[in-house]
Amino acid sequence: MDAAIKFKDLQWRYEHRTNFALKGINLEIIKNDFIGVVGANEHGKTTLVSAICGLIPHSYNGIYKGSVEVFGKKVFDSDALELATNVGFVFSDPEAQFTAMTVEEELAFGLENMGFEHAKIKERIDWAAETTSIQDLLDKSPYDISGGQKQRVAIACVLAMNPPIIIMDEPTSMIDPLGKNLIFDILRRLKKAGEHTLIVVEHNVEQLAPLADKMLLMYEGLVDRYLPTREFYSDSNYLQDRGVLAPESTEFVQWLISENALPASINLPLDLAGGIETTRQALKRR
Amino acid sequence: MAKLITVDALDYVYPDGTPALFDINLEIAEEEFIAFIGQNGSGKTTLSKCLNGLLRPTQGSIIVDDLDTRQRGIIKQLVTKVGYVFQNPDHQLFNRTVWAEIAYGPNNIGLSQSEVKERVIEAAQVAGVHEDVFDTHPYFLDKGLRQRVAIASILALRPKTIIVDEPTTGQDVRQSIEVMNFLKRLRDEEGHTIIIITHEMRIVADYAERTVVLGKGRKLLDGPTREVFAQPEILKQTFVEPPQITQVGQALVEEGLPNDVLSVEEMKVAFNRK
Repeated sequence: MDAAIKFKDLQWRYEHRTNFALKGINLEIIKNDFIGVVGANEHGKTTLVSAICGLIPHSYNGIYKGSVEVFGKKVFDSDALELATNVGFVFSDPEAQFTAMTVEEELAFGLENMGFEHAKIKERIDWAAETTSIQDLLDKSPYDISGGQKQRVAIACVLAMNPPIIIMDEPTSMIDPLGKNLIFDILRRLKKAGEHTLIVVEHNVEQLAPLADKMLLMYEGLVDRYLPTREFYSDSNYLQDRGVLAPESTEFVQWLISENALPASINLPLDLAGGIETTRQALKRR
Repeated sequence: MAKLITVDALDYVYPDGTPALFDINLEIAEEEFIAFIGQNGSGKTTLSKCLNGLLRPTQGSIIVDDLDTRQRGIIKQLVTKVGYVFQNPDHQLFNRTVWAEIAYGPNNIGLSQSEVKERVIEAAQVAGVHEDVFDTHPYFLDKGLRQRVAIASILALRPKTIIVDEPTTGQDVRQSIEVMNFLKRLRDEEGHTIIIITHEMRIVADYAERTVVLGKGRKLLDGPTREVFAQPEILKQTFVEPPQITQVGQALVEEGLPNDVLSVEEMKVAFNRK
């Protein structure tokens, strides 16, 4: 399978810091996989994804050793246009990226910069607006809409560029439950379409785990665990020691297995429906 | 426990005509730990601002410790009764040193310099803000510590009731537990009433004994958290879902599981009882 991203012993230390934030990352991310990234704060999650989109090393000063390749080309040697074409980045604070007077101008900004024709720009904006359900916001100011709407606009801006790799860094951390659900709806749509490599840093594991093909745990600047999602969650205690929770259903079913209320061969549930079904089976076996 | 706050038939309409709260009735007692939950726009923050007198009722009344918040000129008294900690500590911190930040409130209500000093030292100690950072600019502290400075600056006014807006946003699991345990200590050991505004239902289940659910400006539910989470249909009106493990129990009530477990640990006990 094609690798979209390859880390080879990447080390990175921010200027004025004594410790390396990344201490030797070796990692391959397969094209069109959905990767969930978790870990305690200050253990390297944001730094890791910043090294993919090129914010590191191009927008920060520091010491860079090893390499990251995106579609075979080193990020270190790539220019801004190449990086913007390949990797889209959504921040947890959407306002960090707004510059235009209306949502539509905001969506068009990147495309105009890349010299697309008018018809193509319109087509891309329509698709991005539809995927993120923001059609009715196009003529509004990006500053006059709710936090959840802003984040959907920020995602639409990235989608409009249609980069093959999309990274979201805690996209739901600043929004309310309905807003969170709408963001996860977008992720579900993108996953279903299967045309993007998606890398999502997120504390909300109950919504993330059911979508992720693989989960990645950052711990002390290293990739501590990188496994298909079910395997990743097979040891909740280990994860808890590293400051990360499993979905409650998953944690409970693991306990059922440890108590011999269910066979070890059973598929661990990752979502509510799976949790209900598996718990029902355990009740029947009593 | 003695009553601290009585909200009676409160309506609030913003000056631009937007109605935000309708007929809210609420009694808050000493040493309670309460969560306000509900969709954004449901009125949680507006209600909190009414409780500490930042907003005056359009209709109805709020009595805080015998003070009617509709009276003019009582804000200096009110801030010593109900404190409000902003969601983002950076929206609240504006002084150049941690000391100045914590001393701001006590200075503002006209305390003497010796009293101010005493208050700052006391508040910093309770909030776990070490004197080593008193001369530091708040922006050079990590987020957890900035939030504790924000809380200390409220504590320095010695309000009985402390409202904390989204105490765990952006924090990881350990940091969240740390800030929540700190708030619990303020209640258990210092006798404060704590009100949190949050979207994190696991936090509500683990810490709040009472939960008030708001939806479109109305109070939808108010009671022990366990009883509130046992009513998923009403919660849905304001886009709130109980914790996942609570929902597992609710889906399997016919098979004999309870509809009101609040944690995986409680679910283990319930399963073993079956």
